[in-house]
Order: sequence, then C-alpha cells, then structure tokens
Amino acid sequence: MLREIMGFHIKLVLVFVASMLMVFSNCAGFYVFAVSEGDAAAAITSAEEKIVICYSAVAEADAAGANVSALLATLGEAGEFLSKAKWSHGRSDFDSAFGFANQSQDKLNGFVVDAEALTETAVKENYWDFSVNVVGSVAGSVAVVCCSFVVWRFFKKRYGGGVGA
Amino acid sequence: MSLEEHRVVFMVVTGVLVLLVASPALSRLLVFPRTEFFTELWILDSNHRAEDYPFNVTRNHSYSVFLGVGNRLGYCAYYLVEVKFRNQTQSAPTSFGPVGDRTPSSLPALFNINAFVEDEGVWELPLTFSFDYGYNETLSRIEFYGLMLNDVALDMRGYAIAWNSTNNEFRGFLFFELWIFDATTYGFQYHERFVSLRLNMTGS
Repeated sequence: MLREIMGFHIKLVLVFVASMLMVFSNCAGFYVFAVSEGDAAAAITSAEEKIVICYSAVAEADAAGANVSALLATLGEAGEFLSKAKWSHGRSDFDSAFGFANQSQDKLNGFVVDAEALTETAVKENYWDFSVNVVGSVAGSVAVVCCSFVVWRFFKKRYGGGVGA
Repeated sequence: MSLEEHRVVFMVVTGVLVLLVASPALSRLLVFPRTEFFTELWILDSNHRAEDYPFNVTRNHSYSVFLGVGNRLGYCAYYLVEVKFRNQTQSAPTSFGPVGDRTPSSLPALFNINAFVEDEGVWELPLTFSFDYGYNETLSRIEFYGLMLNDVALDMRGYAIAWNSTNNEFRGFLFFELWIFDATTYGFQYHERFVSLRLNMTGS
C-alpha cells in the first residue's frame, strides 16, 4: 500500500517536472529574465551596427540599379524594432530593450547575402543592357553607314552617271 | 535621271536609319544630368493635404498626420527622424540661412524613427498622436504627462507650457527633425530641415 502511494507521488512529481520543462522549453525564446542595462545597451549597439552593414549592402545594390524595395521594407522593420529598443532602454525597461534589439537583428538574418545577390544580378543585367543597347546600337549604326556606302558604290558602278530613261 | 540627283535622298534615308538604330544608345547618352541633390521633408493632414492640420488639441484626443521624406540625393539614404516637443521659450531648430549654419534643437528626442529611402524614392508614415496633460492652476500652466505616438507611450513629464497672453493660447510645437547617416563619420548629422506642428493645448 505504502509502495503504491509512493509510486503515485513519484509519478505526480515526474508529470509536474515534465510539464514545467515543456512550458519553459516552449517559452524559452520569448522570455528573457533580468537583462542588465549593459546587456541591453550592447544588444542595441550590435543591432545598430548590423543595420549600418545592411544599409551599406542595400545602398550598393541600389547604386547597381537593383530593385531594392523589398530589402528596404525589411530594413525599415528592423529599424522600427531598433527605435523601440532605444525607447525601452530610455525608460529603463532593459528586458524589452534587449528583446527588441534581438528582434531587429533577427529581421536582418541573411540580408547581406540577399543584397549581394541582387547587386550581382543587377551588375550582370547592366552589362547585358549596355552590350545590347549601347554597344549593339552603335555597332548597328556603323553597320548601316557601311552598308549604305557599299550600296551607293554598287549603284554607282552599275548605273554609272544616270538611271532610268 | 542622274544617280547624283538621288544622293541627297539616299543620305537622308541613311541618316534616318542610323538615328533609328542608334536611338537606344542616344537615349542613354543624351539624358540631362541631375544637378540638384536634396531631400524633401513634409507633413500633411489626415486627408493628405496641406490645409487642415490639427491646432486646438484636447487632452487624450487622437490626431492624425502624414510624415513624408523624398530622397533626391542620388543614392539610397538612411534617415533618422527625431520627434521633439517644445514650448515657445525652448530651443528651436533652424532650416534657413547658410548651409552648415542650420542647427537642430538642443532638446532631447522623445522618439526616433528610422527611415531607409532609395534614390528617387518616397517614404511616408501615418502618425497618430494624443497628448496627456493637466492644468496647474497655481502656476497657470499646462503640464504634460505623456504623448501617445502610434501606440508608443512617450514620457513627457517635465514638459510645460505657460499661458501666451498675446495669442491667448497654450502654444506648443510638435516637430520632426531630419537627420542623415554619414558613412564617413559613421554617425548621424542634422540634415538641416524639420517640419513642425503648432498646437494650442485646450482644456479637456
């Protein structure tokens, strides 16, 4: 009888521990406990640095002629989180500041790679665009002039000084 | 009919053909170069017009405006809009006078808004704000508690407006300073422009 009661209690404790573990493992990504002012400030600084790096990458893509609207929207969202992180830090809510700064950084995961890919594509497109539209049309114009000259010479040889009746 | 008589026609046809074939290249080469590089900053009322700005403000009543930035700098820009509030006696920013001499307000920003705008692009943000304040009868002034800006509660304790007997109003200014990221100094610099809303705080 005593053994059965003890077994029941052990089971109860095990169920409680297991459920607590499940709850905390699910919430681990969302709860940050007692973040210090320094940690929050460091998170904000690294979020700022990441934004500047991403901005440089997107500026390069823009200069190359890529369509950067989607990237700018993402950067804007990251900037919004950064603003909120600074605002939270200003009102001494370091947990929120830390959380917002991390969310800002998370938004920009893989951003530089995407921006570089866009830059590369834009550079290639610019190269083809230049080849076809500028080099192609200049070469075409030269070809038209040369052809006209040849045709004119042909007519001159064939008809000499006069044409028709 | 002499072949020489057709020379002009032949040359004109050749010329037209050359122009046609060269037009893609010419369209790139004959573009008038941009000579002015600048940023536009504007504030519009809730109807997207510049005519019905909020003026008489009631406590905890929401007002809407649109804040916009147009980038004509020739490159993708990283802007920072500093939201500030001042009364008539406090430091005001400047946006006139020689370039380089224009200064921001020395007041601290209540909130910062980051904006990334591509070249020739426009960024616009709808802003909804409401003030929480009370009237201090002893000092005859309005004392602020907070500003709600797009669901962000900003602390305004310490801000106050004295009665302006000339205009019969409690005059305050909600203004937005534009700052720009400078890659060489790796920091933000005042971009020498701001927009402001003149407000009269009325009894609740």
